[in-house]
Amino acid sequence: MNKNLQHILDIVNQSKQLSEGDISAILNYLKKADKDLLISDFKLERTNKVKRTTAILLEETIGELEQKRAAIEETNFALNKSLEELKSAQAQLVQAEKMASLGELTAGIAHEIQNPLNFVNNFSEVSKELLEEMLEEIKNGDMEEVKSIANDVTQNLEKILHHSKRADGIVKGMLQHSRKNSDEKEAIDINLLVDEYLRLAYHGLRAKDNTFNASLDSSYDKSIEKISIIPQDIGRVVLNIITNAFYACNEKKKKLEKEQSGLNGFQPKVSVTTKKENNSIEIIISDNGNGIKKTIINKIFQPFFTTKPTGQGTGLGLSLSYDIITTHGGTLKVDSETGKGTNFIIKLPTNN
Amino acid sequence: MNSKSINGKSTEDIKQALQNSLVDGFDPTVAIVFMSVKQDRKAICELMDSKNIDVFGATSCGEFTNNHQSEGEIAILLLELSKEHYAILFEDFVDENLDNAVSKLANNALKQFTNPSLIVCSPGVNQKGEHFEGEKLVKSLEKSLGPDKICFGGMAGDDWMLKETFVFTNYKEAKYGIVALVLDGDKIALNGMAITGWKPLGITRTVTKSKGQLLYEIDGKSAVELYLRYLGKEDKIAEKDFKVFEELSMEYPFIVERDKDETVLKTPMKIDSAEKALVIDIPMPEGSKFWFTQPPEFDIVEEVIEKASELKMELRTEADALLIFSCAGRQPILGPMTTDENEGLAEVWQSPMAGFFTYGEFGRVLNGRQNYHSGACCWVTLKEKA
Repeated sequence: MNKNLQHILDIVNQSKQLSEGDISAILNYLKKADKDLLISDFKLERTNKVKRTTAILLEETIGELEQKRAAIEETNFALNKSLEELKSAQAQLVQAEKMASLGELTAGIAHEIQNPLNFVNNFSEVSKELLEEMLEEIKNGDMEEVKSIANDVTQNLEKILHHSKRADGIVKGMLQHSRKNSDEKEAIDINLLVDEYLRLAYHGLRAKDNTFNASLDSSYDKSIEKISIIPQDIGRVVLNIITNAFYACNEKKKKLEKEQSGLNGFQPKVSVTTKKENNSIEIIISDNGNGIKKTIINKIFQPFFTTKPTGQGTGLGLSLSYDIITTHGGTLKVDSETGKGTNFIIKLPTNN
Repeated sequence: MNSKSINGKSTEDIKQALQNSLVDGFDPTVAIVFMSVKQDRKAICELMDSKNIDVFGATSCGEFTNNHQSEGEIAILLLELSKEHYAILFEDFVDENLDNAVSKLANNALKQFTNPSLIVCSPGVNQKGEHFEGEKLVKSLEKSLGPDKICFGGMAGDDWMLKETFVFTNYKEAKYGIVALVLDGDKIALNGMAITGWKPLGITRTVTKSKGQLLYEIDGKSAVELYLRYLGKEDKIAEKDFKVFEELSMEYPFIVERDKDETVLKTPMKIDSAEKALVIDIPMPEGSKFWFTQPPEFDIVEEVIEKASELKMELRTEADALLIFSCAGRQPILGPMTTDENEGLAEVWQSPMAGFFTYGEFGRVLNGRQNYHSGACCWVTLKEKA
């Protein structure tokens, strides 16, 4: 029993003035008080002990967490650096893909520029001759003839100007195609854009391989109004898919030529159709090539996936095309039947 | 069902107490005996046998009845149970085969009653001198009896000597065996629950290297070093004979995730210096998630009593008798309040009570499944159905 309580107990026990009942009651209270004191002492001692241990545990844990935080920060820094490097590598790859598609365009562009250049050359030559003739007529004093020749020269110069502008447009387009990312949208006539890239792709292939031949079908929905797009990006998508389409049907042709049955009337054919839907337009590019096998159709939009022989494709064309179309708020889908051909359907919103 | 609890410092005391209890015509058929290993088990069993009382017994690490708690003594709950409503079964772990013994005992129980409920006591120390595999026993019992059967009980003690513990009946006794008071669940209802009070502290830890009961690494760091350093005993890391259980882990076990919303305490029993590993009472497989712990706060006593009161209200039932299997580790943590906890439960149920401080407990947390527990206050009431 607690020392002080014991003193009280001794006094109570020695007391002659207290009744037995009172002593018994006091004894009970003293026992209860002693128990409460015992519990209080125990609680105090335990609380202090637990507090000390818990404080050490928490301090150690905080120290450990601090170390972990520093390690995570370091890892985070390294990860950010890697991410930056990855982004830079991706940008380089995208640029490489642009340059690769520019290569595909070069031959077509050369063909396209050749025509206006021929006009410019011819009309310049004719105009030079006309001007020499005009000088003769000035000497002769035949001003009527001078006027007539001057009119012809003016007409020729207009034609030269027209074809020079056409060549200028082609060159500008080419520069636009190769320049670094620009997210500026322009209102573009999608039919014109698709048609231009269809021809560029075709002439490009023809320039590289003069045995290449394919029939081109185009059906443009005239009701399609100008839509807001980044023209060089959408142009790149169209060019990529059309080039693939030509490649696919040309491959089929080559394969059939090697077989005993021969071509058997097969003629490579690529068709391009545009359609207006409610709030969107569709560009459907179809070929009658070998189609895409079911086992790989889910992979064609993955980066670096290609069925072309090593060195002939980066495997980024369709992946980038997919990204471009989705960035425009559209969809790019494929529908293919093995042995019969493939349809690529580009859907772009008109209210973009 | 009538019941009475008696206690004594010796067989003679018990003889007298038993005699006194019979004066009013009380005619017990079963004695649930919890006694110190220092006491004479044979004499107590013979005494009970002489009165035709069946014994269900286990050695203790301290024992208690209503208004009396002791160390090194004897506590008995006497039950006036109809012979048709119970059976006392006993199985030795022959050839150390726990599963076989448990399966045999469970099948016997199912033969006795279609819906048996069990009070079970097992050893606290196994043949290798290690902590007995209570978790294995509960799983084995659940497998044989089915998950819906009710079991409560505890692992025998030996007054903290941690050497040899015993379970016994009138005629049989075993260091490595199991004793069960099998009750007809259709006639006798068992209600109870297990509560520990230890709470997770700090961050979630993961076992990264362990083998059997040896815990080598926590979060890739030495388990011994981490455990001692984090609990303020860094200076003991190099000490070969440091008594980790007595000095530390009894108060600061690990708390490990188990089942849904349930946890179990796992305690480092000693340090294996050669292996540089903590020896845990229950294996902690690699990948286990766990926490360091904070010992129960003092209000756990009120919580235990409050939850018992709530259950009593919810079930709208009384108790004919109360058994408490309280972890021996609660005493150093709760001190004199352990007595308050036991007394408080007896007060709630207003019934004769006996119990002992165990080396492990069997039972269910509220709405939980049958499980092994450590550090728990596990109580169960017996009530004869009308």
